[in-house]
Amino acid sequence: MKWSQFFNTSIGKKLLVGATGLFLCSFVIVHLTGNLSLLKDDGGEAFNIYAAFMSHNPFVQFLAWGLKIIIVLHAILALQLTFRNRAARPVKYAINPGNQTSSWFSRQMAIMGSILLIFILIHLKDFWYLMHYGDLQSVTYGGEEYKNLYSAVYMAFKELWLVVLYVIGMIGLSFHLVHGFKSAFQTFGLNHVKYNGLINFVGVWLFGILIPVGFAIIPVVIYFKSI
Amino acid sequence: MEHYTMNLTLKVWRQKNTDAQGKFETYPVSGISSEMSFLEMFDVLNERLINEGKEPIAFDHDCREGICGACSMHINGRAHGPWAGTTTCQLHMRAFKDGDTVTVEPWRAGSFPVVKDLTVDRGAFDRIIEAGGYVSVNTGNAQDANNILVPKDKADAAFAAAACIGCGACVAACKNSSAMLFVSAKVSQLALLPQGQPEKKSRALNMIAQMDKEGFGSCTNTGACEAECPKEISLTNIARLNREYIAAGLSYEK
Repeated sequence: MKWSQFFNTSIGKKLLVGATGLFLCSFVIVHLTGNLSLLKDDGGEAFNIYAAFMSHNPFVQFLAWGLKIIIVLHAILALQLTFRNRAARPVKYAINPGNQTSSWFSRQMAIMGSILLIFILIHLKDFWYLMHYGDLQSVTYGGEEYKNLYSAVYMAFKELWLVVLYVIGMIGLSFHLVHGFKSAFQTFGLNHVKYNGLINFVGVWLFGILIPVGFAIIPVVIYFKSI
Repeated sequence: MEHYTMNLTLKVWRQKNTDAQGKFETYPVSGISSEMSFLEMFDVLNERLINEGKEPIAFDHDCREGICGACSMHINGRAHGPWAGTTTCQLHMRAFKDGDTVTVEPWRAGSFPVVKDLTVDRGAFDRIIEAGGYVSVNTGNAQDANNILVPKDKADAAFAAAACIGCGACVAACKNSSAMLFVSAKVSQLALLPQGQPEKKSRALNMIAQMDKEGFGSCTNTGACEAECPKEISLTNIARLNREYIAAGLSYEK
């Protein structure tokens, strides 16, 4: 079987969606760890040095572009499968079973994923674009000059509507990963009584609750600091 | 359980043929015994329609003992009605109470076109089986029963998968009209046994190719199929099908 055939069946595409999805799960851990330095009470030194490292280190740059390609691939394949799935039932049921036969989260993957994609675009425009191509003040630590992204973040989150938007984005992340994380394992064929409990626990508590809450805390805390 | 009779309002999907536009018709039915099966309730209604000179409602049924998989009815939003692990013929009217409105629809999937009323064409499943759901056996004397050793746990798992009656409830229940539970059961029952090994790779790849060709959706692991399957086929079979696909797809030379 050729590689092109392997990845072109419904299961082949799902394998790609699952693999890219798990890569993105690993990314959110790294991203949150770095971003939490925004809450450090050091006037932004730790965060600005971290931001400079992330935008200059060649290896990180390579990963960052790979990350963007993976997001696009994940979204395109998932949408393609979703449209195909919708088309598989041309006449809809008058009555649907709702939560009687499946979890609500498992049926909202495309909606939550779309909310997340829109959020990511807004988020990239807000800070990634600003860091790379925008006009930022500079600040000096130990004789070296750094872009002051920290103060730009603090300025941005004075706006309540932006804080609300970020919290909505993180609700999208949470609901997407509650099902998405464990679903990827099932797609890889990893369904085993010995590990299912752990996979489910990590999916719900780490990716569904801890990480989204960790992200959402940042704009909320900054907002309350500003008022 | 105490016997009672009930009056119901039935909303049934009526469709003249595959190409016709279908619509719901409302039928009041009265004096229905709680000990009747759901299909017997339909028999009562059809008897009345015939006596009134009207067209009876077409629905599939055969064994009426829960093993043939013919009775495809989507009842109040549930494949085979509200009871778990039950076919429509084994659903008894005590699942309903006097005055209930019961909506009955055919399986809804592009790959299962409506033939008439509640009858759908499940030929897509036959074509998937033809694509690889078999073992090739030479004719001649049968060999000794214990020549091929099968571990008990494997035999049990294969038997549980083989319990699939091909009724199509998994497709009907899935929001994506995915046939993965059916295909996974049919692949698993052979992949788990020594006799299924020689054609293991081509079987998984060919059956999945046919499944895609028939226009079934893909699996998003919602678990609705497992919840509705009258034979309670497990989602672990879908994981096994995925493993079979990965193993075959990465190593099959053709």
